[in-house]
Amino acid sequence: MVAFEVPEIDYSRYTNRQLAAVPLAVLAVALVVVGGWYVATGAPVQPGVDFTGGAELRVAVDAPDGQAREQIRSAFSPTPETIRSVPSDNTYILTFQTDGGNVDLGALEQQARDAGFQVESSYEVSASFGAQTQRLAFGGVVFAFLGMSLVVFGMFRTFVPSVAVVISAFSDIVIPVALMNVFGIELSLGTVAALLMIIGYSVDSDILLNNHILRRSGGFYESVYRAMRTGVTMTLTSLSAMIVMTIVATLFGIQLLASIGTVLVFGLAADLMNTYMLNLSLLRWYKYEGVKR
Amino acid sequence: MSLRENWRILLLVVVLLASSFALFSPTVGGDSGQGTAAEGPTNLRYGLQLSGGTRIRAPLVGVTAEDVDFGGTQPPEVEQAVAEQLENATVADVTARTYQNAPSAVEVTAGNVTTQELGDALSAAGYSYDSGSLREGVTEQTRQQTVQVLSNKINEAGLQGGTVQQISTSTGDHFILIEVPDENRQRVLELVNQRGSVRVDVYYPTDGGYEQQTVLEREDFQSIGTAQQGQEGQQPNVPVVIKESVAPELQETLVRTGVAKQGGSQCTYAENPNSTDACMLLVVDGEVVNAFGMSSGLASGMRSGEWAQDPRFVLQTRNFSEAREVAINLRAGALPAKLDLGPGGEGTSSYVSPGQGESFKFDSLITGIISVIAVSIVVFIRYGQVRVAAPMVVTALSEVVVLLGFAAGIGYPLDLSVIAGFIAVIGTGVDDLIIIADEVMAQGDVSSHRVFQSRFRKAFWVIGVAAATTIIAMSPLAVLSLGDLQGFAIFTILGVLVGVLLTRPAYGDILRSLMTSR
Repeated sequence: MVAFEVPEIDYSRYTNRQLAAVPLAVLAVALVVVGGWYVATGAPVQPGVDFTGGAELRVAVDAPDGQAREQIRSAFSPTPETIRSVPSDNTYILTFQTDGGNVDLGALEQQARDAGFQVESSYEVSASFGAQTQRLAFGGVVFAFLGMSLVVFGMFRTFVPSVAVVISAFSDIVIPVALMNVFGIELSLGTVAALLMIIGYSVDSDILLNNHILRRSGGFYESVYRAMRTGVTMTLTSLSAMIVMTIVATLFGIQLLASIGTVLVFGLAADLMNTYMLNLSLLRWYKYEGVKR
Repeated sequence: MSLRENWRILLLVVVLLASSFALFSPTVGGDSGQGTAAEGPTNLRYGLQLSGGTRIRAPLVGVTAEDVDFGGTQPPEVEQAVAEQLENATVADVTARTYQNAPSAVEVTAGNVTTQELGDALSAAGYSYDSGSLREGVTEQTRQQTVQVLSNKINEAGLQGGTVQQISTSTGDHFILIEVPDENRQRVLELVNQRGSVRVDVYYPTDGGYEQQTVLEREDFQSIGTAQQGQEGQQPNVPVVIKESVAPELQETLVRTGVAKQGGSQCTYAENPNSTDACMLLVVDGEVVNAFGMSSGLASGMRSGEWAQDPRFVLQTRNFSEAREVAINLRAGALPAKLDLGPGGEGTSSYVSPGQGESFKFDSLITGIISVIAVSIVVFIRYGQVRVAAPMVVTALSEVVVLLGFAAGIGYPLDLSVIAGFIAVIGTGVDDLIIIADEVMAQGDVSSHRVFQSRFRKAFWVIGVAAATTIIAMSPLAVLSLGDLQGFAIFTILGVLVGVLLTRPAYGDILRSLMTSR
């Protein structure tokens, strides 16, 4: 078997400013997108049925795609907000979000049956319950982030390296959220789970890098290269698993797994950049200049 | 390879065997308990998402005031007094509760009474209360009774494996969670969405028109039969036996009001309620569902007083499904409070068809397998050595086996979120194994035991910190969540623990015996 090697990057060619500029610029753009979304819609990301309240129906329609969509649009009142087809089994996932999120699911099920569709699954969340879930999810993400920060500070006990990890993790979360807005992915329970997983995944490679540079013998660039060999392998492995999972789960119409996968792909890709550009430049500054001061 | 050196591997093997036992042994988890049934070749239980069924989660409708000073008045009088002050509630909707060691409470379970109205009613009736304790919701006893009645209803309706439980959130909100496998949403909703209080009234002519009087309530029945399909012109009905203590009085009332008049009574309540004979009305949740008269045979038995010796009776309904509903409601009892469901309510409900559940189960398995294959391919390409990569994949999979064994052992139902947790565990697991492998193999051969140990310990520091952050990141979901992501969080945390304490150290040992034995 052919072993692939993580390529060695000659970091000495770039200044810290150059290295940090790219991820910071991306973070700034992401923050603008998220902030702009917040100003425009009142939420940092489009909340899905889980959070706004509403209904979701999965129906089997016995017709070719174009016709099926037409039939679906005419069968329901109110008309579904989104119609997604699931390629593997000729079903369609419909979401309804109307008037404060309160939809009569019983009536929708009846409309589906009247139109000759088979109801494969149905799901209804009340607006107030959704609002509660939203608070919980938000609180959960904030708590997880603060908890992670505390652990990191507790472990490294020095300001700059700890802050480097925390900023990277922050960016790892903000960038996927911005990308969700760009690609029109709604916030669901699955994407919240994915955001929490990013916190766990992203600190892995950051801690590894910090650990190699701060706690090991050997030169800076040598330590970086060793940390990268391990860290990049880790992230690439996770990334490939998540890309595959996203594709397969989308084909099968397993939305929970698909949304977890998508957001994790964004997050892991962002993590590669943040760890080996942002975190690294901060550590190099700390190692060569920060410690002396 | 001494046993002492390799105790971690040995421990992993033992735990794997125990997990396999929990997974496959017919002696474990095979009880026909509540909830989801174990099926297939394993002892795994599947949640509704993967097996199909209906789930309803809703709070109970009501308002409660605590710390109410009854001033020596008995609860029934308090209820009467408070109900009189409320426009939208009757005595039946008001419950006054006294406790041995806690202040008394008053709750109103009518849907359209606000906390403000309850407070005003209490003040108007002259009872002082703690104005800070006025809240939406009902008392703990009412919730428990509701859970009991709902369980009864589901059992009586023959819905196999249905469960009802009370869950509360960290914010102090209480929900009733109903899960019924294989049944569609409509049917379950119809069953649980009505209070189901059944009573029988007599409706009889007097000098100045018609009067109505309640003669039978749920506690007056000795036994309740199963719903009968009506035969030979008979209406569908529920045969019942009246308690002996109530029978004479009922007999007397029916004779006095003219229901049991000579030759029986013909009821035309539905067509012309102002000129009918005396009728018996079957009233469910305050609505008359059927009105019926009495046959001449039964009437003569009542008139002679023989009936009370053997007080059998038949509650007639218009159709069979109504008869079944009445029988279920009579046997299960009425809900002390209603579930807040439907448009504008606070509840949620979901339904997955059994076919869809089955395909979710199969598809998510395939998704998991393909993801593992992807991980394996990357790891094999990266290391190029089968003896480093193969144990890695096997170790990561063994974490999933341990978790599956755990799920089977405690009967935790698998849902999509749990499967997402498994995939997360494989992800973090492989990450950690890569750290161990790289660390151990760094800078030349691992010649001695001591070198290995020190390298392994270094690798473990990173893994430990990463595990701690993952556990902290997931803990809010494991504790706070209302259920949908709880399985995900619990199994991710468990997986990280199993990994750090058991499988990842064992992988270190495997790698060492492979590396140092060269």
